Amino acid sequence: MRTVSRWIIVAAALLAVGCANQKEPAEKAVAAAESAVAAIRDEAAKYAPDALQSAESALAGVKDKLAKGDYKAVLADSPQLTAAVSSLKDAVASGKAQAEAAAAAATEEWNTLSADVPKMVEAIQSRVDILGKSKKLPKNVSQEAFDSAKSRLESMKATWAEATSAFAAGNAVDAAAKANSVRQTGTEVLAQLGMTPG
Amino acid sequence: MAPGQQTPTGENPYAQFYVVKKGDSLSKIAEEFYGDKMLYPKIFEANRDQLSDPNKIKPGQKLRIP
Repeated sequence: MRTVSRWIIVAAALLAVGCANQKEPAEKAVAAAESAVAAIRDEAAKYAPDALQSAESALAGVKDKLAKGDYKAVLADSPQLTAAVSSLKDAVASGKAQAEAAAAAATEEWNTLSADVPKMVEAIQSRVDILGKSKKLPKNVSQEAFDSAKSRLESMKATWAEATSAFAAGNAVDAAAKANSVRQTGTEVLAQLGMTPG
Repeated sequence: MAPGQQTPTGENPYAQFYVVKKGDSLSKIAEEFYGDKMLYPKIFEANRDQLSDPNKIKPGQKLRIP
């Protein structure tokens, strides 16, 4: 009986030593992954939310095992965790590059639109002001079309103000989208007023 | 001139232009574009760089229609 007890004590001691040997690398693995995710969390939330969710899920699972003292499982999961963090880094880099390319293209588009759209608004405003003083509209412009053009001109001006604000705030993609919308509306209003651009 | 023709350099690309034909007057052009011949001064003022008298326009002149 004493011999059996001794063996149990020895086995328990060996197990404890084994666990102690795995604890430190397990903690280090989790800490490294946590640190890596934390370092890119903000950018990841913006550029790669799915990959962030995946990495955080993997991290949460491993942290749970660490909290339960299952260091062996933590170390076994460590390669997958490292891979998830690595994938997250790649996804962030890719998403960021795509966003930067889109912003550069939108800025270029904005530069063209910001020179073009105000001239369109100016031309429409001029014609609306003059037709507003006319006793009778020209043959090719109905009262309904004129009223619609006036209303849409106001909408164009409001959207253009939003576009310039968006660009000033650094959102070139939104600014270009709004500017394109104004130009599209303007093209239709020009037609409503019988003003084919020269 | 039919709308859609080339605008002079530096002009607003959305401005409308009209090439004067024989028998035209500014009031006739104003009536065509604005529906009201009494608005001819708008065209005259927009073309002061080439018109000195609203009663003197020549065929071939390219007028800006504001």
